[in-house]
Amino acid sequence: MLGVETDFTRRRWLSRAIAVMLGTIGTIMATVLGGAIVSPGLTKRRDNWVPAMPLDDLEDGLLKTVHVRTSRTDGYLEATDHQVVFLTRSGDQVTALSSVCTHLGCHVVWDAQQRVLKCPCHGGVFSATGQVEAGPPPKALESVRTRIQNGRVFVRI
Amino acid sequence: MARWSRLVSWLDSRTGLRAGLSHLLDEPIPAGVNWWFTLGSILLGLLGVQVVTGLVLTLYYAPTPDHAYDSIRFLITSVTFGRLVRSLHFFGASFIVIAAVAHLLRVFAFGAYKASREMTWITGVLLLLIILAFALSGYLLPWDQRAYWATTVALNIARSTPLVGGWVASVLQGGNDLGALTLSRWYAAHVILLPLLLLLLIVAHLALMRRHGIAGMPTPREGAPAPFYPFHAVKDTIAISLVFALLFTVAMSGRAPLDLKADPTDANYIPRPEWYFLGLFQLLKYFPGKLEPIATVVAPGLMVLLLLLLPWLDRAADRSVKARRFVIASGGVVGLGALILTMLGWRDSPASADPARWPPSALAGRAFASDERCSRCHTPGGIGRDLMSARFTHDDQWVTTHVGDPEMIAAGIRKPPQGQFGTPQAQAIAAFVKRVQAGAPPPAASSEEIRASIVFATHCAKCHRVEGIGGDEGPDLTRAAQKRDREFILTYVRDPSLIDVNATMPAFEDKLSQEDLQVIVNYMANRK
Repeated sequence: MLGVETDFTRRRWLSRAIAVMLGTIGTIMATVLGGAIVSPGLTKRRDNWVPAMPLDDLEDGLLKTVHVRTSRTDGYLEATDHQVVFLTRSGDQVTALSSVCTHLGCHVVWDAQQRVLKCPCHGGVFSATGQVEAGPPPKALESVRTRIQNGRVFVRI
Repeated sequence: MARWSRLVSWLDSRTGLRAGLSHLLDEPIPAGVNWWFTLGSILLGLLGVQVVTGLVLTLYYAPTPDHAYDSIRFLITSVTFGRLVRSLHFFGASFIVIAAVAHLLRVFAFGAYKASREMTWITGVLLLLIILAFALSGYLLPWDQRAYWATTVALNIARSTPLVGGWVASVLQGGNDLGALTLSRWYAAHVILLPLLLLLLIVAHLALMRRHGIAGMPTPREGAPAPFYPFHAVKDTIAISLVFALLFTVAMSGRAPLDLKADPTDANYIPRPEWYFLGLFQLLKYFPGKLEPIATVVAPGLMVLLLLLLPWLDRAADRSVKARRFVIASGGVVGLGALILTMLGWRDSPASADPARWPPSALAGRAFASDERCSRCHTPGGIGRDLMSARFTHDDQWVTTHVGDPEMIAAGIRKPPQGQFGTPQAQAIAAFVKRVQAGAPPPAASSEEIRASIVFATHCAKCHRVEGIGGDEGPDLTRAAQKRDREFILTYVRDPSLIDVNATMPAFEDKLSQEDLQVIVNYMANRK
């Protein structure tokens, strides 16, 4: 009986040793590979000041649709994006609105006749100052930081 | 706990899990099976590491000539543990080749290939070939100089096969040139076709091993067999852990090499294969011209054929070493031959240029690029990309064109710089960008060395080459001082006609300031 008991203990001890060794290798590999897999998700996007247009070309009180060219890192590439912002001037102040609808991320367009920003996807309507006027959007359009330097309007995107 | 065991019981009743597991783990292992018998498990463990690291590499790798190199550069510089994952995969390949050969030698020495285990042996030999095919196809993927030129040689070896060579090479290459189609094809082979074949053959190899049982020692030992788990499994696990620890240490301390980006126009690059192909590489040197197919096709083909036929060449039932002196001795001679060829190949193989080394043109390029004409836009957060960020992916020609005429790119978005750079400066800037792309940190250079580099890049590089960069009208000056002393160089640079009336090189006495003249002559006089 004693022999069976010893054999049983030995088996249990060896099984544990195997589990510990394989577990260690598994943990090391999971850390290294897991780190490499989640890594790109941990980097933050950096905003830049981008020139939009000369201040003098912007009429007071009129909303203007502006296309800006930005570059961002796209993994191993440097991607060039064209983004749309809406600029409104009042005196020496310029405000800018993002064109991304706060509902599901489509791009809104300026309807000059009705003087509203409309989303083509689900019928969201925003005022010229970005406030929700109709449709499903939950909140106002994001405003974009602006700066005037040497007679040019810069936006931070 | 009760819930857990109920779940396991349910699973078992539906799947036969326990019976299957105990069939896998309770294999009776004959007495005397020792550490020599852990090599197969080590190999399996290493293959596992390749599979999981390879999987992560595919998340970042782009198999096109335009992006392959940059995607790997990105992986090793910007991804957490990226360099380590690549190093594990790179060095893991060498570990596998060593383990596979060791496993084969063990089976050979113990005569374990004899009846009834012929098919286990054959699947094993095929697995070795698959492993070598993995190594060969994986070598191309980084698309750096090593990859490009080693693969060019491999394809030319395939081309030297009599009768079908040209056809085989064009199928492997996906056309007439080594390029985009070759890369896609080798990538597909490396990540889909070969893994599938590997999996099938491993399953067959293991199933055959179970069917015939472990052969055990050549002369059977007394004693009762013990179940595989945990008595032999613990030896396997210890061996795997030790090898894994070694691989991890190597991968942490050594860096998987990444040369400069592949340049098909570079006539100066001397390719060298990975160490396990060096023997074959050396053999090539002994069979020049028409005899070449002997080294490229006949010798390796014969080796594989001999290995496959071994169970029928050595048929006697006795597996003991004493009874198989001739076979063991022949195997020893072949093995020794391969070893000597590999060592000779190692000794003969050319020293590859260190991609981290900055030639004078690159040093000068850095000085030119710090000029206001470049740095006005190329700063961190500026309109142009930061030139030191290594994320600059354009090739030499693009860079030289852009430096020559910055307005060509993104015309109108900023005031063009005043005063343009000439071709020599543009080439120097391209050389500088290339070093940064390769992730080579700028060296600590003395101000005199930098000044000499600038003089060289401005006045000499149009006709003379140093460390691979420059023109070909004049002689290569990489080792200018090997044959000429300082006095000679000084006189020649001042006015070549004083030494050689027919010299085509212009006199630089009036073109260079006294200081520049001294600096460049000192610099050249030190190049031995």
